[in-house]
Amino acid sequence: MNIKIYFQINPNSGVPIYRQVIDQVRIGIASGKFKPGEYLPSVREVSSSLEINPMTVSKAYSLLEKDNVIEFIRGQGMRVPDAPKITENKGNEKQMKALLKEVVNCAKQWSLDQDSVLKSLKQTWEENSHE
Amino acid sequence: MSNIVEIQSITKKLSKRPVLKDLSLSVPQGSVVGLLGKNGAGKTTLLKCILGFIKVDHGKILTLNEDPWILSDTAKARIGFVPQSFRPYPWLQAGQLIDYTASFYTHWNKALVDRLVKEWGLDLSGKVSVLSEGEMQKLSIILSLGHEPDFLVFDEPVASLDPAARRQFLREILDIVSQRSCTVFFSTHITSDLERIADTVAVLKEGSIDFCGALDDLKDAVKRIRLRTNKNIPVDYVMEGALSQKINVHDALFTVRGFDQKKREALEKEFDTKIEVEDLNLEEIFLEMNR
Repeated sequence: MNIKIYFQINPNSGVPIYRQVIDQVRIGIASGKFKPGEYLPSVREVSSSLEINPMTVSKAYSLLEKDNVIEFIRGQGMRVPDAPKITENKGNEKQMKALLKEVVNCAKQWSLDQDSVLKSLKQTWEENSHE
Repeated sequence: MSNIVEIQSITKKLSKRPVLKDLSLSVPQGSVVGLLGKNGAGKTTLLKCILGFIKVDHGKILTLNEDPWILSDTAKARIGFVPQSFRPYPWLQAGQLIDYTASFYTHWNKALVDRLVKEWGLDLSGKVSVLSEGEMQKLSIILSLGHEPDFLVFDEPVASLDPAARRQFLREILDIVSQRSCTVFFSTHITSDLERIADTVAVLKEGSIDFCGALDDLKDAVKRIRLRTNKNIPVDYVMEGALSQKINVHDALFTVRGFDQKKREALEKEFDTKIEVEDLNLEEIFLEMNR
């Protein structure tokens, strides 16, 4: 049997499982892993492939629906909207800063200068821009 | 939604030692409740009271809307139970024990039992007396599922199972709860299993319920806070809801229950700094709650 792994869940992490699913759907849509018009795997599929409680998955999906990240189509399931709305999130900027702080610390540790880090950031950005 | 179990301030002493103290708890229909507690917290005693194996001293329990001490046959047929250790009729073969158990029930799903025996690699010709702890545990789980109960009670069901068997067990329980309306109440020490399958967690501490609610709410409520400030932090600083704290002049580490944005802002204002808030996993939360 071919079980697709859509998400990577770590039950030992401090982040509640439903939030891990939410984050990965958001990232999946942003990175083009889930394309506009595409349906997300069903609650049942996700819960059995990841071996997690189905309630957890439906909680994550309904919160995403509430934020208009995905839309519920009766009888079909959860769908990525044709034009995904960019939701404003106050926490985003703060989270990005925390990630960048790690990048800066690593760069210093590996004695990379600011220019080369910016250059690889730009390069990585472009590499990930087409779908 | 009605409750499968309703417990109102029960008390139970075992040979004069108070084990359960004024304990109240509700298990809603369709929920998967994981029961956590240190050794000796009273987990097994609580399960035994719910099932009517022992009688409570004070208080009231309703299991499937009945007094568990005089549970009807209809109610019993709806319950599946896996005790912590179980090895009845050592002279029987595993297959014979299955047939013997089946004969007590009017409904028995043989196809389900046969499938589980096959999937879990159980040797039916093995004598009960020589089955390993793990094999015996597999067998008692299978015996508890054969009559397709809608209320499953497990007392540390996976304690003797290897990781592969544990995963198979979790998958089976998830399958059951997603296919039909079934309520599960289980005690465990393996917090990562609980995080996978439970929607509700009940923490038993010194004989009463210390927390009962959504697993996600518990994770959202208990946080570790790092405080670095130019101000002096009083050594006897009292933070509301703190489970533990370490203070060292300008640095402090708190584990706090019931932390929210409002408290965060108040704290940042008080010490004129930005604080760091860390998520904790269930095991860490459990340890902090049992300090």
